[in-house]
Amino acid sequence: MIQLFNVTKAFQREQSALADITLRVAKGEFVYLTGPSGAGKSTLLKLVCCAERPTRGQILMDGRNITQLGMRHIPFLRRNLGIVFQDFKLLNRRTVFENVAFPLEVQGRRRIEIGKKVYQVLKQVGLEHRLSHHPPQLSGGEQQRVAVARALVVDPLVLLADEPTGNLDPDVTLDIMELFKSANARGTTIVMATHDRGLIRQFPRRVITLEAGRLTGDAQP
Amino acid sequence: MIGQLPYFIRRALRNMLHSPVLSAASIFTVGVALALLAFFAIAVLNVQRLTLSWAAELAIVAYLEQPPEGPVLNRWLAEIRAYPEVADVTYVSRQEAYQRFKVRLGSDADLLEGLGAEVLPASLEVRLKPERRQDMTAVAERLGRNKAFGELHYGREWLERFEAFLLLLRTAGVALGGFLVLAALVIVANTIKLTLYARQDELEAMTMVGATALFIKLPYLIEGALQGLCGGILALLVSFAAFRLLLRESLGSLLLLTGIDTIHFLPPVWQLLLVAGGALIGLLGSLLALRKFVRFCQD
Repeated sequence: MIQLFNVTKAFQREQSALADITLRVAKGEFVYLTGPSGAGKSTLLKLVCCAERPTRGQILMDGRNITQLGMRHIPFLRRNLGIVFQDFKLLNRRTVFENVAFPLEVQGRRRIEIGKKVYQVLKQVGLEHRLSHHPPQLSGGEQQRVAVARALVVDPLVLLADEPTGNLDPDVTLDIMELFKSANARGTTIVMATHDRGLIRQFPRRVITLEAGRLTGDAQP
Repeated sequence: MIGQLPYFIRRALRNMLHSPVLSAASIFTVGVALALLAFFAIAVLNVQRLTLSWAAELAIVAYLEQPPEGPVLNRWLAEIRAYPEVADVTYVSRQEAYQRFKVRLGSDADLLEGLGAEVLPASLEVRLKPERRQDMTAVAERLGRNKAFGELHYGREWLERFEAFLLLLRTAGVALGGFLVLAALVIVANTIKLTLYARQDELEAMTMVGATALFIKLPYLIEGALQGLCGGILALLVSFAAFRLLLRESLGSLLLLTGIDTIHFLPPVWQLLLVAGGALIGLLGSLLALRKFVRFCQD
């Protein structure tokens, strides 16, 4: 599903954030990206969703070389991705329903379809009773569940999660992981950046380790 | 994308409601700039009307040494009517000139007592087509070749001066208006830019869920156009109120001296143009703001 060939990313006047990374994530796989802060986990996720361009190397997504993708085509690539951030990145002026409906509106789906789909996903994450609330009225865990619902509502091929449980307490972390597990069980490929070793032990999956921008480990459970 | 237009309009309206102060500032600026432009337009239009009415009365008067015989007069009239610049030519006999002069003297008409119509020369009054007014000298020169015509009179010089004044008024209006429109454009652009900065998180989220640049831009473009439209309507209302309360009186008393009896407001087409111009300013202002901003968000 995702293939990286000798990918290097260097920012100006800095040493490479990622250096010569080659890896392959199969369709339907659940992969952890781990390593200390500054190891290049977020940069790698940004490269996969074309928020950054590699300095060298090639990235393939579902067989398509996204390194050469023109600016105009990037939005259409992202419509097949679900992205979850540590700080949720929800729109505080919009309700839970509107936040989750947003990616479908972007795709120009019909209002009836949007309504049904959003309710269904909110039910999945257990927030169907909170759909008219605004994010600041929710707890951190609930906000992250809304963010997960927003990522899943488009039935993404790949879900990219950047430290999604970094700000959450252990109980809520378990809830979020269950949501990821069930999405993965439905066929979504998941790449999750985390430095939480305990979480990786609790939900063992393939672990890719990065250190100072280099790939230092790739272990199956 | 067109099917989503109601969605974009809803979002634009919601954006405006969320930033009422910024929106009001944009509307106000466009309104003031266009209202000032409208004042100038009203003044120019009315002064222009005055020149047109004067120009219509303006004629070349060819005084005749001797009143012509009937066939000769008819030949002259036919010849002059055939000039492409000429709208109309009339013969004023000595008797007619005498009567006119008497009327003009009014209560002093008794001054003419003892004098006959023969003291005044007969004349030909040649009126030009309004669009050929600039050819007045050429026509006068052509008439001057006829030895039977004595003195030729025409008020071209003051008309030219008046037209130069009109040009100055128009240029000043365009310059000041242009400057104000430019200022309005920059202010609208900055307002939209401030809104964009305030909603940076929203723009980021939009790009991450696959929104195209057009999808992101459209609500802001509509917002700018709506603000401009409101500004245009405000300008129309303000200029109409100012016209009723101030301009009609002041400009009226000024132009009344020159023979214009009523002062007119902008014609309907100009009113529409004013409102449409507001929308255009708003649209261009947003475009200006979005040009770099969305590119940045897409990167």
